[in-house]
Amino acid sequence: MLHRLIRFIQDITGYMQQRRSLEPEYPFSKLFKKFQNILASNNEALELIADMGDKLGGDYVFDKQYILSTYEQLKNHVFRLVLDLNTLAPGKYVRLFEVFEDINDTIQQELSGKWVLPQGDFAILYPALNQDMYELVGSKNANLADIRNILDLPTPDGFAITTSAFRAYLERNGLCDYLVQAMSLWDPDDEKACEEIASEIQAHFLSGSFPPEMTRQVETAVDALQRSNPGKMLCFAVRSSAWGEDSIHSFAGQYQSFLNVPVHQLLDSYRKVLASAYAPGVLAYRHEKGFQVQELAMSAGCQLMVNAAVSGVIYTLDALSGETDTLLITAAWGLGAPVVDGSVLTDRFKVSRTPPHAISSVVLAQKSTMMLLEAAGGTKTVPVPDFRQHEPCLTSEQVQKLAETALLIERYFKRPQDIEWAIDTEGKMVVLQARPLHIRTQPGCTADHVAKAMSDHAILLNNQGIVVQRGVVAGKVFVVRNDNDLMNTPTGAILVARHTSPRLARVMRRIQGILTDVGSPMGHMATIAREFRVPTIVNTTVATRILKTGDSITLDASQNIVYSGLIPELCYDEITSEDVFEESYEYRLLRRILRNVSPLNLIDPHDQNFKPSGCQTVHDIIRFVHEKAVQQLIHLGDTRTAQADATSKRLKCAIPLGLTVIDIGGGIQAGNAMARDINPEDIASTPMKAFLKGLTAPGMWSTEPMSVDFGSFMSSLTRTFSAASESARYTNRNLAVVSAEYLDLNLRLGYHFNIIDAYVSDKPNDNYVYFRFLGGVTDVTRRSRRARFIGEVLERFNFRVDIRGDLVVGRIKKLDRDIMIEKITIIGCLVAYTRQLDVQMNSDDDIHQHVSDFFKGVCIHDIGSENDGINTG
Amino acid sequence: MTSDQKTTVLILDDEPIVCKRLKPALEKAGYEVESFTRSREAMHRLTERQFDVAITDLKMDGLDGMAFLTEVKKRYPETEVIVITGFATMETAKESYQKGVFDFVAKPFKLGEILEVVKKAEAKRRSA
Repeated sequence: MLHRLIRFIQDITGYMQQRRSLEPEYPFSKLFKKFQNILASNNEALELIADMGDKLGGDYVFDKQYILSTYEQLKNHVFRLVLDLNTLAPGKYVRLFEVFEDINDTIQQELSGKWVLPQGDFAILYPALNQDMYELVGSKNANLADIRNILDLPTPDGFAITTSAFRAYLERNGLCDYLVQAMSLWDPDDEKACEEIASEIQAHFLSGSFPPEMTRQVETAVDALQRSNPGKMLCFAVRSSAWGEDSIHSFAGQYQSFLNVPVHQLLDSYRKVLASAYAPGVLAYRHEKGFQVQELAMSAGCQLMVNAAVSGVIYTLDALSGETDTLLITAAWGLGAPVVDGSVLTDRFKVSRTPPHAISSVVLAQKSTMMLLEAAGGTKTVPVPDFRQHEPCLTSEQVQKLAETALLIERYFKRPQDIEWAIDTEGKMVVLQARPLHIRTQPGCTADHVAKAMSDHAILLNNQGIVVQRGVVAGKVFVVRNDNDLMNTPTGAILVARHTSPRLARVMRRIQGILTDVGSPMGHMATIAREFRVPTIVNTTVATRILKTGDSITLDASQNIVYSGLIPELCYDEITSEDVFEESYEYRLLRRILRNVSPLNLIDPHDQNFKPSGCQTVHDIIRFVHEKAVQQLIHLGDTRTAQADATSKRLKCAIPLGLTVIDIGGGIQAGNAMARDINPEDIASTPMKAFLKGLTAPGMWSTEPMSVDFGSFMSSLTRTFSAASESARYTNRNLAVVSAEYLDLNLRLGYHFNIIDAYVSDKPNDNYVYFRFLGGVTDVTRRSRRARFIGEVLERFNFRVDIRGDLVVGRIKKLDRDIMIEKITIIGCLVAYTRQLDVQMNSDDDIHQHVSDFFKGVCIHDIGSENDGINTG
Repeated sequence: MTSDQKTTVLILDDEPIVCKRLKPALEKAGYEVESFTRSREAMHRLTERQFDVAITDLKMDGLDGMAFLTEVKKRYPETEVIVITGFATMETAKESYQKGVFDFVAKPFKLGEILEVVKKAEAKRRSA
């Protein structure tokens, strides 16, 4: 496939260049046909992308066949787009073929079961890690890096050996094909055969050699650590951090870890960690859970050993007792490994999850042995001195500190946590690792149970503001009126403030939730609340009036409700609700495919990266082709005005549309042949006239000043590009191709893309209107409200409406000329009306308000009626 | 059938994900569900017991949903069969309806959609 395509590209490149020099150019009408093909494929492709995105929402049941066939369709459309653009602009964008082939290649590899991980360094120090590197360093490393770099909690120094290193190791030692071949013989029913396969795989791993570049990078990382720990003999804990491990599936304890490893044994231990991923039990578990053998990508964490005086484990929910407000801490002297594997008795502290975290029970064990570090590397188990055997290994202050820390981590990861910690010989607490704790919902905690608990509590706020960060928390209100209040915010409070303010960032780590009267979901504070994943609702208008400091409330920012009183059942339900869907192979596959399909990186056509090589995703290519196709057509119109079959004019209009109008037959009044500019009165095209009538109808094109909220919303955009300069830049960038009966309009207003394709004649059977709206920039909630608003209006006017994400398509056809004109006029009104609508979409109620306002506007001007009694389709 | 008994549903789809997602959703809605990814096993199960509703894919690797549908209706004419498929053609739809299929649901579908159809099939079964 690849070779065929490349040969094809080469052929076509040659052909294009040849044609450019030899053959006469196509007549405009032919080129316009190509342009229309581009629009059609563009629409189809965008609808497919939106459709795939919808499937991730969780509502749908889809299978691998869906992913395969939908991508196949998408691929064909995009291929045609690239082809048609190169016909429209001969040879100008040949590079686009290669770019598309690269993206397609990645996706095809994903579809064929090979994982495609980001390329990156082989070893990365913890301070340089972030969320985006999750696939490169595995979840254990990524989580620990978040705990260190975002939550600012103490964790061991160290570095990650990445999945890129793992892949390099596989390639160097020919293990990729070998693994697939070995696993093809795997038969879960034959235990003995499985063990043989596993031990053979492990032997292969252990006898492999390291790529030199990998060895070099590990040495560099070790050197950096040595510089920040001068004179110290470095010893490491080497732990697995597989891709997918600790995230949804827990492979807890299935991979080997090595403790107190001296530098010269580091790579050897790393190799053993890799091999441990192919132990019989692990292979069987992965196989049973539906993981493909190619899906495994190991990363490892190399952390400086903590010389632990006390170690232990925290479960932020006591999984065994089923108590919904209890956190469990186990602790023992020395290193934590024996606590984790259960080989020693431990002290157990039960602690309330509610601040100030009262200790509800302490069970002390006789701790007879402990594990300590050997000076030369490795560990030793020694007896605990008699006098300490019965002594509690934690003070109540330490217990409380651990509980606070653990709940901070839980709030951040939004799941109950299983946390390993240590307190070193100098009394410093260190988080060693955190992973989700998998808890089966208790029989007492069914949906009925939660519903009953909720019904006992009054609702204080219901759908009153804008959700910035989802999640459920229960706690005490703390109203902040000034900086002084802010400094005194108690740990675990739900903060209530008049305005959103970046200053609240200072206490973000301490608080459980935020409610404000006024504020934007796009502001700086919102960004920080999302980063810390603190459940937050802004713009409630009344929070400070209704809530008083000390009130107990439950903030359900997933449903946008605030209840009076604490409802631990609801919190419990939120963090333990199982979501099997995200665990499925198909979900993971679709998400990986979409990562190469839907993100849009090419936003600004004036950005220097707006070129074929800047396209990173399928969406980028679609966007690029559309933009260039429109420009090419404008360009053709400009340079070929003398041509017999088309004339190009600029429309002078009260509203700055920056519109080039290309007439392909009777669309512009005769008698203006020489003029460069035309006025709306010069338009003869029936659908164009109708559209302009609606667009310029009084009251539809809002000229109201922007609200304060809008200002802050726009300011959030300046990070990527300047919004103010946008409108100026787009002048003369919009295009209408018209004839007496036809209109094809590509209109970008700010961040809204409108496409209208319409034909209106005296033969109803030929008549149709296609309208497409695509917006962007604003947050998802508002986008979907905007889409629903447009959808509702169109539906009331009998359009057949299709909404996918924020893409809205309205179609209507085969109606009488006069009714068609009315429909297009309505679209004109709608385009004008929606121009500044996003910022006003604060709640769902606003949708209905705007629909009704829109109707009033339309009726006043007697533009259309919603019930024309005509059957559409 | 008596009303205090749970309505029984058989699911056959060679894509495990479909069974994995449908089974718990139907169970949560109060149905007794058995699911199969191999038609041979599903066919065998039919020799042991009857189901009120059968949900089957039409086009699966190495097996024919149409044959399964035929077998179900032959053995238990009163079992309501719902076809779920990603490749609905006029031909297969026509043939399915001729064979007495209750409804046709195109893949991918929403859980709510299929629940609705199962509910209708159940109602028809109970009123029969």
